[in-house]
Amino acid sequence: MGMGDVASSGPIFSRRRFLGISLAAGGVLLAGAGGLLWLRGRAPRVLGLRCLTAHEYRTLSQLALALFPEGGAFPGGAAEVDLARLFDGFLADEPEWNQSDLKTGLVLLEFGPLLFDGRLATFSHLSAGERLRHFESWTGGSMIQRQLATALRKFLNLVFYDRPEVWSSIGYDGPAVPAERP
Amino acid sequence: MSGAILDLSRQPAPPHVAAEICIVGSGSAGATAAWDLAAAGRDVVVLEEGADYTGRRLTQRDGRMYDQLYMDRGGRATSDLSVSVLQGRVLGGGGVINACDVVPIHDGVLRHWQRRWGLSDWSPEALRPFRDRALADLSTSRPDPDDETLFNRANRILRRGTEALGWRGEVMLHNRVGCAGLGTCLIGCPLDAKRSPRFVAVPRAVEAGARFFTRARAVRIEGAGAETKTVRVRLLDPDGYHEQGELTVSARVVILAANAVASAQLLLRSGIGNAHVGRHLSLQPQLPIVAWLGEEVRFFRGIPQSWAVTQFEEQDHPERGWWGFRVEAISGTPGIVASILPALGRAGKEQMRRYPQVAASLCLLPDEPQGSVEVERSGRLRIHYALTDDQRRRYREAARAAARVYLAAGAREVTIPVAPMVTVRSEGDLARIDAIPFLPATVPFLSAHQQGGVRMAPSERDGAADPEGRVHGARDVLVFDSSGFPASASSHTMAPIMTGAHYLSARLLARLPR
Repeated sequence: MGMGDVASSGPIFSRRRFLGISLAAGGVLLAGAGGLLWLRGRAPRVLGLRCLTAHEYRTLSQLALALFPEGGAFPGGAAEVDLARLFDGFLADEPEWNQSDLKTGLVLLEFGPLLFDGRLATFSHLSAGERLRHFESWTGGSMIQRQLATALRKFLNLVFYDRPEVWSSIGYDGPAVPAERP
Repeated sequence: MSGAILDLSRQPAPPHVAAEICIVGSGSAGATAAWDLAAAGRDVVVLEEGADYTGRRLTQRDGRMYDQLYMDRGGRATSDLSVSVLQGRVLGGGGVINACDVVPIHDGVLRHWQRRWGLSDWSPEALRPFRDRALADLSTSRPDPDDETLFNRANRILRRGTEALGWRGEVMLHNRVGCAGLGTCLIGCPLDAKRSPRFVAVPRAVEAGARFFTRARAVRIEGAGAETKTVRVRLLDPDGYHEQGELTVSARVVILAANAVASAQLLLRSGIGNAHVGRHLSLQPQLPIVAWLGEEVRFFRGIPQSWAVTQFEEQDHPERGWWGFRVEAISGTPGIVASILPALGRAGKEQMRRYPQVAASLCLLPDEPQGSVEVERSGRLRIHYALTDDQRRRYREAARAAARVYLAAGAREVTIPVAPMVTVRSEGDLARIDAIPFLPATVPFLSAHQQGGVRMAPSERDGAADPEGRVHGARDVLVFDSSGFPASASSHTMAPIMTGAHYLSARLLARLPR
C-alpha cells in the first residue's frame, strides 16, 4: 500500500484509538525514562564542576578507578588524583561539539551494561572488576564503543602518567632540564 | 622596515593591518617563505595560531605541552578517531615538535611527480638548489653511532636486529646542533638544539622585516578574486582556548602555509577554489610497535629516531614514487606511551612498570591521497580517512618485519598495540599478525606527515592549484605547504616542505611586480 492508498482509504486508526495508543506509548516512555533514572540512582553532589554533571563526573571517576586501581605493579592509583575533575577542566575549554560528544559518551558508558549487555545495572554500580571488563569489551566493541574507549583512555593515561608522583614507580626520572616557572 | 614577533593575546592589536603578502602559518613552509620574501624586500605579515614556545617554557611535560604545541590540544584525529593527526600549533610549526628527522625529497619521487602528476617543472634539476638550501638551513648531519648519549640503546637494538637479519638500514639525517639527548623532542627541546625554522627562518625573516603575529587564527579570506584580499583573523587568549578579539589583514598576496589540513580548511571556510579543495589528503598513518627487552633500555633518553630499517623501502617505484615501508625507532614520554600500550587496569600498570625496558618503533608507510577534509556548517572540522584492504595487508607485512627485527635483536616479546593485543615471542608467533583486522579505532595509528588537500596539478580538472601553487578560482591566493603535494613526498616532510617553499617563493618573486 502506497501513501496515496492511505489518503484515499481514510484514517487507519480512529481518533479514540490513536489517543489510546499515544497515551500508552507515552506511558511506556515515561516509565522507561523513570526506570533509567532509577537505575542510575543519585550521584553525590560535586562542587566546582565547570562542564560535567555530577552523574558524568561519577561515571568518569569510576572508570578512572577501574583503569588505575590501587596496588599491583606499584601502589598508587586513581584514588590519589581527581582525574574526573581534571577532565572537567579540560572539557570546559573545548568547543561545544566536543563537549556534547564526550558528555553523551559518558551517558552511554553509564548505561552501557544495560544497552550493550542487557544487564539491569549501570556502570557506576558495577564492581571494580566488572567495570574494567566492561570497559575492556568496549575497546573491541562496536564503532561508537571503540571511539569512546579510545578518547577516554588517551586522556586518562596521559594525565595519570604525567605526574611526578608516579614516575619513580615506572623508572622515569622526569624532565632533565628544570622548567621555567610560569 | 623592522620586523617583530608580536603575541596578540597579550598586547593590543590594531584593528587592521596592511601588508603586501600575508602568510597563514609559521612552520616549515610559512617561515621559509617569509624569510625569502622579506629578504627580497617584500612587506610580509605571518599569522600563527599558536604561541612562541622556546627554551625552558618547553616544560617536557606531556599534558601541558601537547595542549599548547599541537593542533586541537593534541586531540586532533580523523572523524572516526582511528588516526591521531599530529600537527604543530606553535611559532615555527611542526619543526618545534618533530623528531628532527630529515629525509629530503628523492629525485625518484620528483620524477614520479613529473610523470604521474604532470608537475613537469618540478624536475630534480630544478629543485636541487632549493633542496640543498633547505638542507643547509637545517644544518643537517648524522648522529655519531658511537655516542651512546645520543644514539641510544633503543636505536642500537633496532640496528642490531637489522644487521642480524642482514637487512639494509641507515643512521638517519637530523637537524640538531648542541643536542644533549634529553629525549623529549616530540614535546619540544628546552635547549633549543633543533635547527628548525623557529631558529633559522623565523629570526632571519624578522631581521629582514617580516612581522609574525602569534595567537592569531585566520578564519576567512575575502575578496579572493580582487587585487587586495582581506584575511579575517580571530585573536586568541594566552592559552589559545578562546577567541577574544578580531583583526583584519589586507594583502595583495595570500599564502597558505597552515598545514595539509588547515590550508584546505581555510579555503573551504572561505568558499574559495574548485571541487578538489579538501580532497586527495594523504595521512601516512604510522603503526607503533613495542618490544620488551627484559633489560634496561631507557628509550626515553637520547635521540628518539636515529636508526631506520630501509630494507623494504623504494624511492623510485615506477608507479608510486616513494613506496614500500620503513621502520624507525621512536621514544615517548610516559603519558603518551601509556596511551598507546593496550593493557588496562593492573595489567596496564604492570606494562608501565616495565617502561624502562621498552624499545619502540614506528612502521612508516606511504599511502594513496585517499583522505579528505570537510568543514561542517557549524564550523567543525572533519578529517575523513579509511584504510584500504591493500593498506591493511601492507601494515601486516611491516609489523611482521618490525617484530622480526626485534626478535633478532633479542627481544623477549613484541607487542602490536591493537585491540585485542597481539604478542609475538618467537618467529612461530608471527602468523598472529596476519590475523589483525585493523578495524577503525582499534589501532593507535599516528599521522605526522600529512600531505595534499589542495593538490597542485597542471590542469584545473585534476587539482586545486597550479604547479606554482596558485589556487584556481582566486587571484594570488597560493598554497606553499604540503597541501599542494600530489602524493607522498617523503617519509618525513619537513625538508621537502622547505624545499618546496624556497622553490615556490622564487617562482613568486620572479613574477610578482614591485
